[in-house]
Amino acid sequence: MKSSAFELKHARTLGEATELLAAADGDAKVLAGGQSLVPMLNLRLARPKLLVDIKRASGFRELAADDRVFSIGAGWTHAEIEDGVLEDPTRGLLRSVAHGIAYRAVRNRGTMGGSLAHADPAADWVSTLAALGATIVVQGGGERPKRHAAESFVDGAFATKLGESEIISAIEVPRLSVDASWAYHKICRKTGEFASAIGVVVLDPKGGLQRVLAGATSGSPVLLPNTAARLAEAGPRAACEIVAEEIRVVLPNLDLDTQELHAVAVRRALATLGEGQRR
Amino acid sequence: MTQVSMTVNGGAVVADVEPRTLLADFLRGEMQLTGTHLGCEQGVCGACTVVLDGRIQRSCITFAADCDGADVTTIEGFDDDPTMQELREAFSEHHALQCGFCTPGMLTTARDIVLRLGDIDERALREELSGNLCRCTGYVGIVAAVKKVAAGKKPDVAAAAAPVISRLDGPRSPPAPSSPQTNGPVTRTPVPAMAASVGESAGGTSIEERVRVAAPAEKVWSLLSDLQRVVPCVPGAEITSLDGEDLVGKVRIALGPIKVTFNGQAKVGMDTSKREGWLTGRGRDAGQGSSAEGSARWTVVADGASASVIAVVLTWKLSGPLAQFNRAGLVHDVVRRLAATFAENLEAAITGAAPPRRKALGGLGLIWSVIKARLFSGS
Repeated sequence: MKSSAFELKHARTLGEATELLAAADGDAKVLAGGQSLVPMLNLRLARPKLLVDIKRASGFRELAADDRVFSIGAGWTHAEIEDGVLEDPTRGLLRSVAHGIAYRAVRNRGTMGGSLAHADPAADWVSTLAALGATIVVQGGGERPKRHAAESFVDGAFATKLGESEIISAIEVPRLSVDASWAYHKICRKTGEFASAIGVVVLDPKGGLQRVLAGATSGSPVLLPNTAARLAEAGPRAACEIVAEEIRVVLPNLDLDTQELHAVAVRRALATLGEGQRR
Repeated sequence: MTQVSMTVNGGAVVADVEPRTLLADFLRGEMQLTGTHLGCEQGVCGACTVVLDGRIQRSCITFAADCDGADVTTIEGFDDDPTMQELREAFSEHHALQCGFCTPGMLTTARDIVLRLGDIDERALREELSGNLCRCTGYVGIVAAVKKVAAGKKPDVAAAAAPVISRLDGPRSPPAPSSPQTNGPVTRTPVPAMAASVGESAGGTSIEERVRVAAPAEKVWSLLSDLQRVVPCVPGAEITSLDGEDLVGKVRIALGPIKVTFNGQAKVGMDTSKREGWLTGRGRDAGQGSSAEGSARWTVVADGASASVIAVVLTWKLSGPLAQFNRAGLVHDVVRRLAATFAENLEAAITGAAPPRRKALGGLGLIWSVIKARLFSGS
């Protein structure tokens, strides 16, 4: 239960971190909070030659905003988001989700960018940011930063659009309007454990956002556009009626009981739509 | 070795540590502070919880070399802490420990709950304690003890320093569109009646992928019956030697940061009359000690005179660390993508088209170059 030997380099800047990665010939990993990576190292499932630590590197904790978008540096921790150290542009969704990630001792170290880059299908940010229509900003693949829509950033379990020497620098979250409502429900066998199904609903007609999403699948999260359209037209109760049907279409490879688990998570989210922001 | 200086329980410490030394091992082994306990060593049980720069953290998933300049407080550092004094008394009074293994982490977490959140209801308290496992008490005594100490306490509302927010400079380009679907000379038409299926078969998990190819079955089979061509179509697979039905080779698979190379042997065979081929083998990853056994079966069925369907069934069974890690179908997803890429590679090998670029499974570019070299150098 000890990691195999590796070299550890502390990057001082974002640019230096991407240079170190580029020079490592694909056998390096970025160490942010390490709350998913270090267990894999301890189990020796992962054995990279080099770890590039970015905890103290400049360029990962920038905050920038305008009236439509709030950009969060990738290095902010779940606990900082939970505590409201930074503004929540989503009227409470980010704070509520952050509170439910693993345990406080893990949230104090784990980061939003690290969680996205690791791309565990059950990770809360992978589903939440996809449902919000966020944009993931990636540096290191050229002069200009690359920008990926969160819903297509994750290709499958632990697989993303990130190149070998690229690092997530920020996440641009759209601001939800005052009339927006959201709901998040995850099914876990134990509090803080990885979810076996996640349902997310974001309804913001003013902002042009109506999304229902099923997450914690064995691969990438999936949007449920028909359910979302029904929600916008006829409300959550009517939307609940077609969830199971749409899940069967968009996740045809899952067993029947797993499909039902995802349908339950989405229906429970729909049933509590808007309660989060009233609390 | 990396030199680190930190403050541990109020005293300055300077030490040389290996990059892989965990903070917990440094505290226990170098500092002789054995009150920090190691249970799971993967961040689940909470026994190793310490206070690092004012925040509780897991010392089993934190490297000592990463703690340069940090201020660490272990259970030994709380002797004179008034909240911890109250908690110790309450734990004793409520029988909140039996064997004591979880207690240092439990107390450290409890202190954080009391100071940060104050008097919270039992449901919230149990949720906050859920990251610390106890195998003796059933938690009733622990919850009662923390509740007693938290009663009447105020949460710490000290506002964190307001971070600096700058204006987003526009104009920003829109996000890159989702990757386009496969395009090329082959029409990949998913046939509704032939949706990919997944299931458990005897002793393993299996997955089936079907792809329609715009070429007659005869032509498809004639290419598929050459194993030197088929095997490299499996992403990450390489043939070391092929002698009759005995094949020696390796398969490299990447699952995020997890990279395994299974070296192994396989038996291969085919039945030309049925246009069917199969491969059964087993392999082991030397570095990690995980093993895999499995099979691949492929058939070509005519779909009219000028098209055919290739069906690939992959069955596998894992053992060792990788199997223990596999949570709810994660490996499943990888094998599903592997099967899909295998089908695409077969298709490409038949038509001579370059396979769609995909980096998810790693190594595909290399494999493609191998296929191309073998297939098209002479044709």
